[in-house]
Amino acid sequence: MRDVLTAYRALARGGTLVAVTYRGRLVLRVLTGFFPLLMMAVWLTVVAESGPPAGWTSADFLAYYAAATLMANLSGDHVVWQWDADLRSGDLSLRLLRPLHPFHQYAAADLGQRLVTLVALAPALALAAVLSPALDYPVTPARLAAAGAALVLAYALGLLTASTFALLGFWSTQTANVWLLWWGLGSFASGWVAPLELLPPWPRTAAVVLPFRSMMGFPVEVVTGRLDGGETALGFAVGLGWLGVFGLLYRVGWRRGVRRHQAVAG
Amino acid sequence: MIEVRDLAKHFRVHRRQPGLAASLRSLVHREHVTVRAVDGVGFTIPAGEVVGFLGPNGAGKTTTLKCLTGLLHPSAGTVRVLGHTPHRREAAFLRRVSLVMGQRNGLFWDLPAADAFEVNRAVYGLAEGPYRAALDELVDLLGLAPLLGRQVRVLSLGERMRCELAGALLHRPDVLFLDEPTLGLDVNGQAAVRAFLRDYNARHGATVLLTSHYMGDVTALARRVLVIDRGALRFDGDLAALVEAHSPHRLVRVTLREPAPAGAWAGLGEPVDVDGAVVTLAVPRAETAAVAARLLATLPVDDVAIGDPPVEEIIRAVFAGA
Repeated sequence: MRDVLTAYRALARGGTLVAVTYRGRLVLRVLTGFFPLLMMAVWLTVVAESGPPAGWTSADFLAYYAAATLMANLSGDHVVWQWDADLRSGDLSLRLLRPLHPFHQYAAADLGQRLVTLVALAPALALAAVLSPALDYPVTPARLAAAGAALVLAYALGLLTASTFALLGFWSTQTANVWLLWWGLGSFASGWVAPLELLPPWPRTAAVVLPFRSMMGFPVEVVTGRLDGGETALGFAVGLGWLGVFGLLYRVGWRRGVRRHQAVAG
Repeated sequence: MIEVRDLAKHFRVHRRQPGLAASLRSLVHREHVTVRAVDGVGFTIPAGEVVGFLGPNGAGKTTTLKCLTGLLHPSAGTVRVLGHTPHRREAAFLRRVSLVMGQRNGLFWDLPAADAFEVNRAVYGLAEGPYRAALDELVDLLGLAPLLGRQVRVLSLGERMRCELAGALLHRPDVLFLDEPTLGLDVNGQAAVRAFLRDYNARHGATVLLTSHYMGDVTALARRVLVIDRGALRFDGDLAALVEAHSPHRLVRVTLREPAPAGAWAGLGEPVDVDGAVVTLAVPRAETAAVAARLLATLPVDDVAIGDPPVEEIIRAVFAGA
């Protein structure tokens, strides 16, 4: 375990160094990190033109999508693209030769890159928090702990989900497209397109038990103080359940997939 | 050390004819064929030996190496390396082997090699002392000092290859698999890599299995060769024995004081190259000494040199006769 943690530190450092190598890439990464604010702009327009939907005011949307911006940048789903590229190019072989499971290699490098993005975004988010009264999130020790746990759960589930989908590359060349389909469907059930409270009753109920909310809507709702104790516990239970499901799927997928690995390109 | 028995690796691949009609047909009807990349290969390599692995493109060399390193699961047969079954990919096994692929980049493309070495140190769990000792030795042997602080992507191919070798050897593997390690390098680069590998083997007694299209790599490093073609092993033995078995002739290169008259070579050998007063004769191996003596006795000879045909030609003969 200590060896794995040491490797995580070194690989995360490598990811950080790669992320800060090119200024242009860093600027683009930070800019795209603000994409959730585009959805906020849409909802602010709705509020301005038609009044607050389901009682959601401009301040509510501001608070929600500021937290969503943080979550979007904590997503570990980028690993699916790296897996896909490595499987196609044959670079996965190099990772398989190291005495550390490729999952950890991708995860650690992604953590390093996330860190850079978050550090770059932090000043903007901090400034927004100071200037906007809407970003006055309720702070108690219990809520802080719940928010921290929800963020970790969201990152872990996103990483594991993406890694599980990446294993499809052992069977198909369409991993990225399948992932886009999953992500597209999930964007409605995650709270990305709209806060789940604004959905009709049955999609909202479905979203509560699907995995997508655990990676976006749930931690945002915890941060913004929209959940009571029972709802928070249910959210954690659902997220942990899906973490177990994808952990199992990953394990089975890896065992079967790596047997099929053709180690292409050289 | 390395034991391979009846190794087979078969791939099921999608086959499609070129053209639009074939593309559309393949949408509804997939046709697959089984490619027998490796089919019943067996050999043993003791600790510390350097073995050359020869074969034309698609012969099964790289597939065999990938089975030996655990990248591929064999379709049949058994593989044992250092007492491990490679495809189980146990960390204890992976810490003791290394595979260098000439056309693959195991370093961070955007970072200096020194950063990638630090990552390898952590991934292989190397303590500071052994890591520093290995790094210092590799930097010295491969002349890496001026390269360590430069981005890998701006290095020349030869420089990058030297860094790749260092990265692959920091953990001092007991078994080193090399797949075309000098691919694309110029003559100086090839010589540097060969000298390093020879030195590394001498210092650490590492077992080395090497594939290369450059015969110079094999003749410089390996006494024993494995020749594989169409997935089957055609030869396993000394390079000298291979030459003897597949080349019934030796080459006698004669330098005369003046061009020889027509018919001067009758009964001596087959002229395979005539360049003014320098003539190369193919002579039956058993008669080489006698022919050389007759040449010296009957012609105005300045110099006589006897040698074997280039190994490339012999390998071609092996494959042609397979």
